[in-house]
Amino acid sequence: MSLRLSDLRRAFQGLVPSIVATSDVQGTPNVTYVSQVYFVDETHVALSCQFFNKTRRNLDENPAAAAEVIDPVTLQAYRLRLKFLRSEKSGPLFETMSLRIDAIASHTGMTGVFRLIAADVFEVLSVQMVDGFLTETVDDPGENMSVDGARTEMRGLQVVSERINRASDLESLLASVLESLEEFFKFSHTSILLWDDANRRLTTMASRGYGKSGIGAEVALGEGLIGTVAREHRLLRLSSLDADLRYGRAIRREAASARKLEEEIPLPGLPDAQSVLMIPLIVGDRLVGVIAAEDRDPMRFNEWHEAYLEIIGNQIALGIDRMIDRGDESADAGQPEASTSRPAPESVNARCRAKRRLTYYRNDDAIFVDDEYLIRNIPARILWKVRGESQRTGRTEFSNREMRVDSSLGLPPVKDNLESRLILLRHRLQEKCPDLKIVSTGRGKFALRSDASLELMER
Amino acid sequence: MSAAVAHRCLEPGQSIIVATVDANGQPATCRGIALDSRDDLQTLTVFLPVATSHETISNLAVTKRLAVAATHPITNAATQLKGTTIEARLATEEERVFVRGRLDAFAQMLLAFGVPPRLAHSLRHWPSFAVTMRVEQIFEQTPGPNAGKRIQ
Repeated sequence: MSLRLSDLRRAFQGLVPSIVATSDVQGTPNVTYVSQVYFVDETHVALSCQFFNKTRRNLDENPAAAAEVIDPVTLQAYRLRLKFLRSEKSGPLFETMSLRIDAIASHTGMTGVFRLIAADVFEVLSVQMVDGFLTETVDDPGENMSVDGARTEMRGLQVVSERINRASDLESLLASVLESLEEFFKFSHTSILLWDDANRRLTTMASRGYGKSGIGAEVALGEGLIGTVAREHRLLRLSSLDADLRYGRAIRREAASARKLEEEIPLPGLPDAQSVLMIPLIVGDRLVGVIAAEDRDPMRFNEWHEAYLEIIGNQIALGIDRMIDRGDESADAGQPEASTSRPAPESVNARCRAKRRLTYYRNDDAIFVDDEYLIRNIPARILWKVRGESQRTGRTEFSNREMRVDSSLGLPPVKDNLESRLILLRHRLQEKCPDLKIVSTGRGKFALRSDASLELMER
Repeated sequence: MSAAVAHRCLEPGQSIIVATVDANGQPATCRGIALDSRDDLQTLTVFLPVATSHETISNLAVTKRLAVAATHPITNAATQLKGTTIEARLATEEERVFVRGRLDAFAQMLLAFGVPPRLAHSLRHWPSFAVTMRVEQIFEQTPGPNAGKRIQ
């Protein structure tokens, strides 16, 4: 073999669809596009088997096959002569290939229809550059991981670790992580979602690089790209999101008449993202959250990022987990502040202030402000509790501890994520009702500040 | 409906791929530049760059079996036609404008994916072989449950 398969890694990212040719025993050829030829090792590749199609039937009769892959940067084509070896329906290769397909399927509402049946493994008998494919060659920029780049990213690991250790609270930890990812990796569109065991969903807690923060946006386990990564506890890197989604949508169109399909989940963040990197945050076997990075450049994330960010992801997961534990301890150490609170100056200049109407919909467990959705679940119950208490007694200061002992709020007994729920509530108020603020007044304490005249309704 | 599905392969902007097989059953593949049919798909002519189709032409000389698939790059709507080669020749200068026009249309499609026209036009398209086959089978090949369904 004159060329090594690993020399063609870019061609295996799925940016340009690959061609696969097979033949039945009668000698009738068949040709089709496949979204991706997977690099397995220097002498093996794999194809995804998603439908029992002609290619699959031909391989059972005649194991000989040919493939053509294209380098997306130079557009140079390469031909592989292949021999079908086996179909894998479980194991690491199957799971890696399946994750990508499951994520796309979920994102396009095709779960169960668009799925991996098997990973078909081939021996690569020869690989050749297609001479004369192009009239002019394009300069190859080479691998984008230079020694300088490696130094920068090693420094990035060091800085992320330091910042995680130095962070005084969860909010600053999340913000510093995203800042570091931009500073050292040039990831300019990122978000962090934390897992909430109480409502079995991931909630966006921090984001960077988006016009709207999206804080509070939720994703269910297994839904879309993020939900699939969370469910599988596996990192996902897609370099050809646009092509994959078009492929998924083509199948969806074809399948639409056959059965009722779920609604497509809008991709959070960039509407025109071409590549994504999703890193699950795991401590032991427990899900803490997901970091999502997107980019308009289809080749933005490479294998180096994948391996490297898995390490950083572990650090971040431990940091977040430690911060949540610390939140538990600090609250237990504090005292309820009820007796020391001053009456709220709510009546002062009330006539000059804006009027806001907060409505709590009990059946939906959600609060709306002036008919616009604000928040739901536990953060909504916290707001309703403290706002009601404030209105009845004039208190404005509260402690985390009294939130924890109030069983009506439904906080889990351990790892209750109270701090992250308060961060979420604070951000949602900032965005939707800036006249009402939740402010920290010390460790384990917070206050409710209102510049508006509030009308409370419950339905 | 079937006729419309079959004829969409002749529309400009399609991505064209072909497969052949040698006497030992080893398949080979190649990219095409243009498709043409003057007799309602009784026969189909595929234009293949001379520079990249040596193996394809060698196989056709022996086995004559040819599969051609045309795919719309944006919608993934695809059709596959299979048949027996009845002629393989160098494309004429008169056909050059047609082939170039199809490459231009394909380059326009690639523009939608951010591929610069200069890069798309660097795909070698001339000189070309014109390979004509008698069409014996036509299949729906759009990804999904109907992929592989024979339509003619």
